[in-house]
Amino acid sequence: MNGKTALITGASSGFGREFAKLFAQDGYNLVLVARQQEVLQQLSDELTQAHGINATVLAKDLAQPDAADQIYLECQQQGIQVDVLVNDAGLSEYGKFVESDLRKELDTIQVNVTSLVYLTKLFLRDMVARNEGKILQLGSTLSLIPTPLMAVYGATKAFVLSFTEALQNELNDTNVTLTILMPGAADTDFFNKAGAEDTKVYQDTKLSKPEDVARDGYEGLMSGVPRVVSGFKNKVQAVGAGMLPGSLMAAAMRDLMEPYDPDAERKKKITQYTIAGVVAAGVLTWLALGRNRRSDWN
Amino acid sequence: MKINGQTALITGASSGIGYELARCFAQDGYNLVLVSRNTDRLNEIANEFTQQYGLGKVTVVGADLAQPDAPQRVYNEMNNQGIRVNVLVNDAGFGEYGMFATETDLQKELSMIQTNVTALVHLTKLFLRDMTTRNEGKILMLASVASVLPNPLMAVYGATKAFILSFSEALRNELKDTDITVTALMPGATNTDFFNRAGADGTVAHKQAMKTDAADVARDGYEALMSGKDKVVSGMMNKAQVAMSRVMPDPFITANVRKQMARPSNGNGQHEKEGKKQMATTGSLVGAVLILGIVALAYYNKARYTDFKLSDLHL
Repeated sequence: MNGKTALITGASSGFGREFAKLFAQDGYNLVLVARQQEVLQQLSDELTQAHGINATVLAKDLAQPDAADQIYLECQQQGIQVDVLVNDAGLSEYGKFVESDLRKELDTIQVNVTSLVYLTKLFLRDMVARNEGKILQLGSTLSLIPTPLMAVYGATKAFVLSFTEALQNELNDTNVTLTILMPGAADTDFFNKAGAEDTKVYQDTKLSKPEDVARDGYEGLMSGVPRVVSGFKNKVQAVGAGMLPGSLMAAAMRDLMEPYDPDAERKKKITQYTIAGVVAAGVLTWLALGRNRRSDWN
Repeated sequence: MKINGQTALITGASSGIGYELARCFAQDGYNLVLVSRNTDRLNEIANEFTQQYGLGKVTVVGADLAQPDAPQRVYNEMNNQGIRVNVLVNDAGFGEYGMFATETDLQKELSMIQTNVTALVHLTKLFLRDMTTRNEGKILMLASVASVLPNPLMAVYGATKAFILSFSEALRNELKDTDITVTALMPGATNTDFFNRAGADGTVAHKQAMKTDAADVARDGYEALMSGKDKVVSGMMNKAQVAMSRVMPDPFITANVRKQMARPSNGNGQHEKEGKKQMATTGSLVGAVLILGIVALAYYNKARYTDFKLSDLHL
């Protein structure tokens, strides 16, 4: 037991659930926030028994405009001081914007952007007053890459990155730290919930394990690192995305977000290997000829 | 003098860049739909344009885009009046100045997200659907240089603009096989009511803003929109700043913006300091542009000779 409390939104599944486990293992008391009361209660029972911590369950829907306020009030009423805030909750919607569901996208903005800003405001005020506290924001590698077929989702993550970096600067002179975790595609319920389970990125790329991503985020948060890009290939992508034009990144992302077609992919790979083979053969021939010619001169 | 029969709907048309954009359309004979909270001012503008240019019809719609039902109401109003919107200009937006943790007003920031982000997405959805059915239309989004520069002391504002750029670029890609174009206008500090309204008067950025005329920014945006460009950064210094943001580390960029957002204390050294800062900035810019050029060249060569896609690298 370390007597400190971490509040985690989106704690019922995915990264949020893994964060809850990590904090519990280190003796943090927990405030678990998500929509589903029973799932949270189960997780709470599990973690309190295993680690002897206290856990509070708050079943709230962050798509509701007053949810953030209610969560803050609830903590105050129960006399809970939140030392660590983890803004993990997020929604998404897959499809061409002109066809995707507006209601779901408005909820996505409310959860990923508005409620995140709202919760950050309320808990950060108290942290700054105490000059102590930590906040983890869930960004994404998509924070840096416009995301066709998930245009609103990608934009919410761009929001989170810009917001977090501005706050990091504002909090330079305090002991309060903000960390943004930027995962790539991970094996959580995210793609199913968004209706994106058929995409190439989900079907045909190596997905990160949620426990690995959460571990990276947790360690970054604890040491007060500003930005954690989880996974090597995502780190490479993040560097590239910072330098390349948005339209180019969008085109690359579009390819990944299209439905996965194994036949087309196989053909594409054969073409790629053929081109590579021809180029290699050409280079070898050129080298060989060049050498011959040089030997002629000698 | 020409009447082109097309209609442009402009949000935030009562002042600033929105007003100047409306003028560009009026000059080219578009019918206008002017949206803002301030209907008195909109009516004045309608009279002004009708007298000055006398070409298209001007419709005034009073709406506060901080209200969640406003976009739907604006859209319904168009349907009721039988107005087809050929060009949508999402200009409405505002900022809020101060330290997020201790100074800024939460309610104002929530309204800002609603206006700058949610209403923009909502209006785009409603009008883009119809444009897609007709396979014709143009959308202009008011982004900002702040779209690529995190903005301390205006943390929420900068983030809303980052949203808009990402959203616009994704949308543009989705629409690449259609005749609909999406253009993002990225102004720097501009001489409008923005700074006063945000409570950011007297900042370095506000002083810089005095030098940039909203009419010039609007003209850049209008031309980019009409030629279907993906985005336009208005102004040389702003172009350089955006280019720099691609190669410099974010904390450096952010700290630099922070300086622009500060209120200079009145002292004699101030002038000299600003001069030095300008020189340092220019130096970095030249370096940045050089590096960018090399990267662009390298990429261009690569793209020329292979059907190169980033995804082929399996990143």
